[in-house]
Amino acid sequence: MVAAKKTKKTHESINNRLALVMKSGRYTLGYKTVLKSLRNSKGKLVIIANNCPPLRKSEIEYYAMLAKVGVHHYNGNNVDLGTACGKYFRVCCLSIIDPGDSDIIKSMPSDH
Amino acid sequence: MVKFLKPNKAVIVLQGRYAGRKAVIIKSFDEGTRDRPYGQCLVAGIKKYPSKVIKKDSAKKTAKKSRVKCFIKLVNYQHLMPTRYTLDVDLKDVVSVDALQSKEKKVAAAKETKARFEERFKTGKNRWFFTKLRF
Repeated sequence: MVAAKKTKKTHESINNRLALVMKSGRYTLGYKTVLKSLRNSKGKLVIIANNCPPLRKSEIEYYAMLAKVGVHHYNGNNVDLGTACGKYFRVCCLSIIDPGDSDIIKSMPSDH
Repeated sequence: MVKFLKPNKAVIVLQGRYAGRKAVIIKSFDEGTRDRPYGQCLVAGIKKYPSKVIKKDSAKKTAKKSRVKCFIKLVNYQHLMPTRYTLDVDLKDVVSVDALQSKEKKVAAAKETKARFEERFKTGKNRWFFTKLRF
């Protein structure tokens, strides 16, 4: 029960941080651009929805391992991740290039 | 945040005639060139993998089985799958972009990379690189 409570609070904080990145930082949404950002070493954090197909998820994780970039498995599906980004479409994976005012990169890797 | 598409990285070609083949990056062009405005790299790969050599084989047979056929190609980054493996074979002097301009230069470069790949295979190092990817 304590674990469930803790995930709800941190889940909200991820959403808050993500909203701040959307407002003040730079990011890309979608599988193709996530891989592009990892290849040219611009991406700093990758967030993957929980209903991402397992092959695609492991491919993104492998690229992130090679690029030494953190991966955060978002606690929600692509619909929820799209809503968290403030978009009206589904987002399966996104890459944060510049966090802006947010501290998502400093706080997330310790969480994951 | 670390660049990983660097020379000597082993990659797997995903598209084209050489799909499924392993290759090594020789030179990477992150910004592309004027006639190819996308990220690409020059790779040297294995067209035909060497067969499995067993202890029972005669010297003539091992020589025949250890033959490697190579290809040299400029490939878009999107059509490659990088791996965690590297292959330290010095091919910078042999393979270059102008080696791809004419047929004789390409054949000469491929012959030289074939020789280098074969001698690396015979030492028994980089065994992963010389085994066929099963899929």
